[in-house]
Amino acid sequence: MHDKTVRRRRVVLVLLVVLSLLLLTAYFGEAPGGQLHDVQRGFLTITAPIQDGANKALKPVRNLFGWFDDTIHAKTQRNELLKQVDRLRGELVADQAEKRSYHELLGMYHLDNQLSVSDYRPVTATVVGKSPNLWYETVVIDQGESAGVRVNDPVINGEGLVGKVAQAASDGAEVSLITDSTMGVSSRIASTNATGIAQPKVGDPNDLLLQYLPANTQANPGEYVVTSGTVSSPDDSLYPPGILIGQITSENEESAYESVNVRPAVNLHNLDVVQVLTAAQGTLPANLSSLTASLPVGQGSPAGSAQGEQLASTGVR
Amino acid sequence: MTESRLSAGLLIRIAVLAVVAVFFQTGVVSEVPVFGVNVDLSPLVVAFVGLLCGSTVGAVTGFAIGLLVDLTLVQTLGVTSLIFTLIGYWSGRLKELRDPQAAVTPLLVGAAAAAASLVGYSLMEFLLGVDAPVSLELLRQIVIGIVLDTVVALPTWVIVRRSLEGGLPDDPRRRRRRRRAYSTGGLSPLSRHT
Repeated sequence: MHDKTVRRRRVVLVLLVVLSLLLLTAYFGEAPGGQLHDVQRGFLTITAPIQDGANKALKPVRNLFGWFDDTIHAKTQRNELLKQVDRLRGELVADQAEKRSYHELLGMYHLDNQLSVSDYRPVTATVVGKSPNLWYETVVIDQGESAGVRVNDPVINGEGLVGKVAQAASDGAEVSLITDSTMGVSSRIASTNATGIAQPKVGDPNDLLLQYLPANTQANPGEYVVTSGTVSSPDDSLYPPGILIGQITSENEESAYESVNVRPAVNLHNLDVVQVLTAAQGTLPANLSSLTASLPVGQGSPAGSAQGEQLASTGVR
Repeated sequence: MTESRLSAGLLIRIAVLAVVAVFFQTGVVSEVPVFGVNVDLSPLVVAFVGLLCGSTVGAVTGFAIGLLVDLTLVQTLGVTSLIFTLIGYWSGRLKELRDPQAAVTPLLVGAAAAAASLVGYSLMEFLLGVDAPVSLELLRQIVIGIVLDTVVALPTWVIVRRSLEGGLPDDPRRRRRRRRAYSTGGLSPLSRHT
């Protein structure tokens, strides 16, 4: 009797471990459109409304915990923000005059058809799930294909760039945050226009590294990094230019390329509502995305992103 | 408790507990970072189910919760299942072999489950080829994660035990009381029969 129990226990363990390994191998090996991915998307379609309901019901609990955190950091943040407001007010006055001249020049040279956020159809979504694991920088939102959300659509919130849609189901989608190891966003330093790729910092999932900058780039702590409006590879998302990604914290000495450390502008640990920038068929963003996706492989490398940059910045229709 | 005496009521309780734990984790707990790290209740729930119900139930619960987590959060299928299966089995074996009754047992089991989960994930991700060498920041986050999970282990243990209590044929608290009474002479086998 005892032997039988022991044997059964071991058989169950071995079966479960083998099943897990089989699932892991099959999932890892198959394409994003494979059967297991389909099952996962189907499951997401079923659970997204439940998660949405649970999320709304449990919001007071989350707010209570958030309140403690906010209260602890409120004073420090207030002082920092007051300083920032003073500095930005000065910059705003100077920039307004420059902006007027800039738009006049763009109109004069017929370059005023640049892609912007207003060209997209923003879909507001609520974050209904987030992995507690260090290794998964993804969130689940409650809007999917039925709302026009597609894979690779940019995701933003009021603070800046959040990430892009990695998988879309009917009523839900998975969003890869900008700190996810699979991400790489074509970016530029706002003050100098030096372009590079913003990628998660290896070994530090909360920070970004702006890499492949031109040699001798002048980058000072506190300067802003924004999206460049170009793509770095054919399967990349085409983010509108000028979306805030973060602020430079320091120069990176460890990398072989010219690079700087960037702190994301968005509080990625506390996402509630986001906007997915969807593009309807035939619109400028949709046309540009399909055009950049058709670029030959290799042309989208950091050195060869010139064509994508050209497409996005001139707004080819 | 013998595995054959598992009641349908207990299985339903475990299933409900698993679903509630996963949705509460993904919808609420994961949204509230502490020192930049999230508390992870799922490995604690798996370990405590194993500790109360034995290795087979622990392993099956671990596999089911892991699969649910991977499906809900659109993660690589199988990774969480594998880690949680081993956590559930291990904690179940601990109960079967040692049957620890000390008050700190849930804390220690919780800490061990959190450590196994965080280190297990890291190992799996390295094996799957994620480009992330061991760094001080990563170690810091793992250590903070273990400490946070240990802090919430006791309340989680209370909730898991209360949730399953009615379905458990052999209540650990009752057994502990009986053992204590026996050792103090209050309820010796002889006095019970008289």
